[in-house]
Amino acid sequence: MMAAVGTPAATAMAASGTAEDLAATALALARRFAAGATMWCVAPQWPPHGRHVAVEFVHPVIVGKRALPAIAVEGADAVAAVRLLARPGDVLLVVSAADDPVGADLLRRSEAWGLIRVWLGAGLRPGGPSGPAGGRADHVVWLDGDDPAMASRSGDVVLLYHLLWELTQVVLEHPGLLKHGFASGPESGPECDDEVCITCSDQGRVAEVQAVHQDGRVEVLVHGAPETVDASLVQIVAPGDLLLVHAGVALTVLTDTPDVST
Amino acid sequence: MTADPTGFLYPFIESEERDSASLLVDLARSAREKIAQSTALRTATLARLDDELAGAGGAMADRFRRGARLLAFGNGGSATDAEGAVDLFRRPPGGRPLPALSLVDDRAVLTALASDVGFDLVFSRQIIAHGRADDIAVGFSTSGDSVNVRRGLEEAARRGLLTVGLSGYEGGAMAASGTIAHRLVVRSESVHRIQEAQNALMLRLWSIVQQQLRACGREGGSP
Repeated sequence: MMAAVGTPAATAMAASGTAEDLAATALALARRFAAGATMWCVAPQWPPHGRHVAVEFVHPVIVGKRALPAIAVEGADAVAAVRLLARPGDVLLVVSAADDPVGADLLRRSEAWGLIRVWLGAGLRPGGPSGPAGGRADHVVWLDGDDPAMASRSGDVVLLYHLLWELTQVVLEHPGLLKHGFASGPESGPECDDEVCITCSDQGRVAEVQAVHQDGRVEVLVHGAPETVDASLVQIVAPGDLLLVHAGVALTVLTDTPDVST
Repeated sequence: MTADPTGFLYPFIESEERDSASLLVDLARSAREKIAQSTALRTATLARLDDELAGAGGAMADRFRRGARLLAFGNGGSATDAEGAVDLFRRPPGGRPLPALSLVDDRAVLTALASDVGFDLVFSRQIIAHGRADDIAVGFSTSGDSVNVRRGLEEAARRGLLTVGLSGYEGGAMAASGTIAHRLVVRSESVHRIQEAQNALMLRLWSIVQQQLRACGREGGSP
């Protein structure tokens, strides 16, 4: 195995802590599966990868391993489909490069839907080369490099989700670790790289607008639960908008896809 | 549960286990080892099959020059790898887009064939319908024993298509088949490591094809 140490993929994965990220993600994933979650798999730029990761979990290649509910979602209405199908506490798995607009949109919205967000990716890391991808997903496993298209074809991206499956199955053999340490929310707080960390601080929570009333109140989803909030502080809102809400009041309308350059 | 006399050997056994820290260390070590194994296998396989890849890639380039289409197929994860190969040829990250079709895409055709003639024939029947003598058939199977993939390739060979079969382990029935022109075997016992290496093999084949088509284009352009 000595020859492998110098290969680009092995070096990049070792440098960026890929193995540790995979381990933490597998633990979170196994706990969600043990609690009855379904994993929704979306790879907008690379649909075959979305189907491949789903079939790994549904039909394990190793006889005797547990079949787990994973479903690939694709096409132009992937966002609407996951919104409709997923239940709070389910898992969203996005396989994409940092600049994938559909993947980014899903990751942003699914916080309001109450999903645990896992992002497997390749290429330039969201948030910049050394920056954390935190806040954009609960668990990020990234293959650093400058060519995500090549990584998606070289076997590297396939390797990432093969390992995620393998490690998740190992965790499932440790029932004592599946019973506690989680609720319906994320396993662990995301890293905070924004001025206002929307998950960790009391500044607000992400909400998706479901319906708008004449009197300025709006129906929203927060962590998958419906709430009515006062939107009189914010500009015109429409169903589908994302809001930052706090204490029953919408503080601001969240803008579109965050800048992923640096 | 009765007391296990060997229980003292496993302080966190089963449901008593509460601390995930040691498991996380083990998982990360396992991941690192498998990353190393995967990259080593891909490097070794590309080196071992260098001549065979050059031959297959050159033959594919010749076919593409004559208007060939690449028809790819496989089952399960290998079906998605076939789709990935089609995507690579049709929407390449660089170079010339080339015509390629996946024989696992059409649910109507797949279910009709599976229901009426059996799953063993889902690819060979499509080869009969779509295959032209100048085309290229690429079949993916990790075991090399997938009956429908082998029969698809054998039907393709009978019809004059260029046949490329990717398999694993010792190559299975596909490696033993005398009719498949290019048999690329990833020598591993792990389905996952085999699939990762098959991705690398297809990327190399695509790269050889693009190189050859560029070289040909230059020759053709300079009198």
